Amino acid sequence: MANLLWLQGGACSGNTMSFLNAEEPSACDLVTDFGINILWHPSLGLELGENLQKMLKALTSGALPLDIFVFEGTVVNAPNGTGEWNRFAGRPMRDWVTDLCKVANFVVAIGDCATWGGIPATAPNPSDSQGLQFLKRSHGGYLGKDFKSKAGLPVINVPGCPAHPDWITQIVVAVATGRGGDLALDEFQRPKTFFTSFTQTGCTRNMHFAYKVSATEFGQRKGCLFYDLGCRGPMTHSPCNRILWNRQSSKTRAGMPCLGCTEPEFPFFDLAPGTVFKTQTVMGVPKDMPAGVDKTGYIKLTAAAKAASPRWAEQDIFVV
Amino acid sequence: MSALANAQDEAETREDIRAYLTEGLKTEVFPRADTHERVLEVTARLRPAAGDLRAKLVIGGFTLHAVEAGEIEQSCETCMYFLVHRRFCELPELALPVEPEWSCRLWRI
Repeated sequence: MANLLWLQGGACSGNTMSFLNAEEPSACDLVTDFGINILWHPSLGLELGENLQKMLKALTSGALPLDIFVFEGTVVNAPNGTGEWNRFAGRPMRDWVTDLCKVANFVVAIGDCATWGGIPATAPNPSDSQGLQFLKRSHGGYLGKDFKSKAGLPVINVPGCPAHPDWITQIVVAVATGRGGDLALDEFQRPKTFFTSFTQTGCTRNMHFAYKVSATEFGQRKGCLFYDLGCRGPMTHSPCNRILWNRQSSKTRAGMPCLGCTEPEFPFFDLAPGTVFKTQTVMGVPKDMPAGVDKTGYIKLTAAAKAASPRWAEQDIFVV
Repeated sequence: MSALANAQDEAETREDIRAYLTEGLKTEVFPRADTHERVLEVTARLRPAAGDLRAKLVIGGFTLHAVEAGEIEQSCETCMYFLVHRRFCELPELALPVEPEWSCRLWRI
């Protein structure tokens, strides 16, 4: 039996909703099939008031073992570094985070806010928010870059806005069943099994990407969303087109540009007007290239692909 | 409209554009839309000109030859909005038949 505690800081509950929609395995499977004891969760916890405080104190004192501490949302430090803007169970949430991270075997950050600050930490960051071990791309965050949980791992980051339901439950199961040490993490402490390939991997628009045919308006099924509509699929690490959402679709499959929400900079360009759903260019060349491609190579590739594109690539082959 | 009629229509418009530019229609070739802000500015001006071919050519900075900017030859042929087989610019604010060697200041790749 592994004890799991889930708390929520500066957040919208999106990752909680995502978690509750998990299918493989489901939130119920965690309890019935994988022996996970969910001590408390914002939407599932039964204890309130003093009983909850008593349980939290038992955890921080070590009287009750804490195997997995899951945190959703940012660590709120405002005002003036006190964390008083986000109080929970009688004290600032950040103080609970400090104490619980000291006793947890594993610490898992779920969603962009807990991993790197996400939308709450967007400039000017009025709540003085941080992710657990990152603030955007900068390593450190609330716990500091040297933090390791009792099991010897740094915070396991499962980003996304929200994270896919099954990324959450599969990582929790891996940790709860003693395979946490086998998790290979990338430079941003994301499990490589999910965050090595790109959102573009498996995208149904890849043939239009290859022949450089752009979708120029929302709702078009023909065309690639990268060239004009700001899609970040070619440079975002996620399995969104391999592990489908609701088992059947993804943003790009539904005609919605990828926002790059598993990357530390999300939301990109601090949500400045005109930067969302619009590819940013300099002298007509995209500011952000597909991962690993340089400007010269991109121009050559695009010109050649364009010249070689077949007639069908210009037509809407989905309407017959 | 049938594909054939559409193609004839586009061919006529293409010839109209060629004629306007050959006769010396002054277009805003520079400054190029080299920043995102400039692109937004030019496309915002183009939207009210949807039915006015001459205005589109002027605001778009059309030329009958490729223009070099930022050490890149900006011809329709290499532009993201150019449909090779139809010889058509599908940027919604322009939506014009063009030739591969032409150019405009909204070129992008």
